[in-house]
Amino acid sequence: MYLFPSSLLAGGACKLSKTEGKKNKAFPKKREKISKVKKRERWKMNITAWIFLFPFVFLYLIFMVYPIIEGFIISLTTGGFGGDREFIGLSNYTTMLTDVYFWEALWNTVIFVLISTPSIVVLGLMMALLVNLGLKGTTIMRAAFFVPYMLSISVMTSIFVFIFQPYTGLLNEILQSIGLIEGEIFWLGETGLAWFSILVATLWWTVGFNMVLFLAGLQDISDEWYEAADMDGANAWQKFWHITLPSLRGVLTLVVILQSVASFKLFGQPWLMTGGGPGTSTRPLVQYIYELGFRNWNPGYASAVSYVLFLVMMIFAFIQYKLLIKKEA
Amino acid sequence: MKNRKKRSRILVYIVAYGLVAFMLIPIIWMFWVSFKPINSVVTVVSELLTPPYGVESYIRVQESSMIWRWTINSVFVAIIQTAGTLLFSSLAAFAISRIPFKGKTFVFLLILAGLMVPVEATVVPLFEMIVNLGWVNSYPALILPGIALPLGVLILKQFYDGIPNELMEAAKIDGANMFRIWWSIFLPLSRTSMAALAIFVFVQSWNNFLWPLLVANDQSMMTLPVAIPTFQSSFTTDLTVPMAANVLASIPALIFFLIFQKQIIKGVAMTGIK
Repeated sequence: MYLFPSSLLAGGACKLSKTEGKKNKAFPKKREKISKVKKRERWKMNITAWIFLFPFVFLYLIFMVYPIIEGFIISLTTGGFGGDREFIGLSNYTTMLTDVYFWEALWNTVIFVLISTPSIVVLGLMMALLVNLGLKGTTIMRAAFFVPYMLSISVMTSIFVFIFQPYTGLLNEILQSIGLIEGEIFWLGETGLAWFSILVATLWWTVGFNMVLFLAGLQDISDEWYEAADMDGANAWQKFWHITLPSLRGVLTLVVILQSVASFKLFGQPWLMTGGGPGTSTRPLVQYIYELGFRNWNPGYASAVSYVLFLVMMIFAFIQYKLLIKKEA
Repeated sequence: MKNRKKRSRILVYIVAYGLVAFMLIPIIWMFWVSFKPINSVVTVVSELLTPPYGVESYIRVQESSMIWRWTINSVFVAIIQTAGTLLFSSLAAFAISRIPFKGKTFVFLLILAGLMVPVEATVVPLFEMIVNLGWVNSYPALILPGIALPLGVLILKQFYDGIPNELMEAAKIDGANMFRIWWSIFLPLSRTSMAALAIFVFVQSWNNFLWPLLVANDQSMMTLPVAIPTFQSSFTTDLTVPMAANVLASIPALIFFLIFQKQIIKGVAMTGIK
């Protein structure tokens, strides 16, 4: 998972370029009266800056900038890993248009994003509100809500496979013992149920992260607001709707974007819980990329699909940003 | 009125502790099952709650897997990645925040743009690069691509921007050079941001799945997230040994969490929000 800084969302980038602009403008004025000493001084500063920057920028160019460019070039070719590839223009992209597996994976991913994002965000907010109430045992509550996030993804999926699997799974056993079901439910064997299982597992694993972000937002809301509302005789629901929620708008934007980005990158959960099955019905885009690239050894097509994933993510983030920020104004 | 308030209070408690149960039961269940004898039937809840208990399954995990090696790999990769990210990001952030140089805006925008790029989108060229370098199944392959994290530069730059200029000017008058200023003023002042970033990078590295799945296919080079499913795949009916492996794989993170709970929660909130 990677993060957008909220300041970037709130226009922090613009702020930066403004100040940078000022600094740059300051240069020409000075230039007129620059002595040799000053010139040397500035030369020295440039060198110092690059010594500071070098380790990071070096790695960044190799492991981030180069792969982005190279990825696009690869996406225009066909052939295996390791060199002898043939340039085929945009063929990989046009192939995608008629590739039913691509559309299925894209559909799966988008649906998962649309369902998982609201459910995880709402439950995260609910947990944060509960923790913020200061009930008895708040410390335990907060720890319990967050601790699953500390487990490694494979431990998490392993636990949930054993909970959901038929005959020996915990869930069927509990449902049978309280008489809700007879016989076995194949949670991981039917498309709808498999998605439900993946969703529950993801929710359990990552909701704590969202809760923490909301909690930080809640603690920034001034008590005076609530006191004023109390004096006006507002009830709990009114206070939530008119004070809490509007104050959380910034955090909410952040959480929604972070969560949908994370959901777009869904891979480990289906890969380890259902293998993308039954059939390919729970296979998300990242798994399709993985299989194309590293099972079918088709790096060109895999790269093309990666680029489309990247594009779809950008569009989604942009739409959400527009929607959520606009309301604020 | 009072009665109604009391009733809603009770309802809130039921919801809250219901959620606590939902979050904790899978973890408690993992521990519980792991202490049952190997091959015991653990589906019936009543059988789970009655002895015998033992550590057979733990002994089996130790005998039949490289669990310690995997744990060490995971810890080692996470520590080096965290240290590298902290050091390199803070150096770069200092230069961008405090040293005037040509092309600063370009460098910063280049780094910002990287925030938008998910690793998932660049795995193919990255993997090919690692193969060409002959780095498959090596620590550099596991560690290096995760170090150039744009988020780190951004967070630290923002913090450094807030440090008053007078501090730097005073140090300059005292004859301190830039390295000196970075080392003895900026680094100590940014301790909280650094801790938050460290926790974030550590957790992310600890949970990384796709990348180690690609570059570590030799048992001895695997990290826990990749090794655990590989190990467990040979157990289909027995739950106790896989669960013991899960417990062993989680213990470092759980201990880390219990000790640094407050800092971790604060750190996660900070890297997300600030």
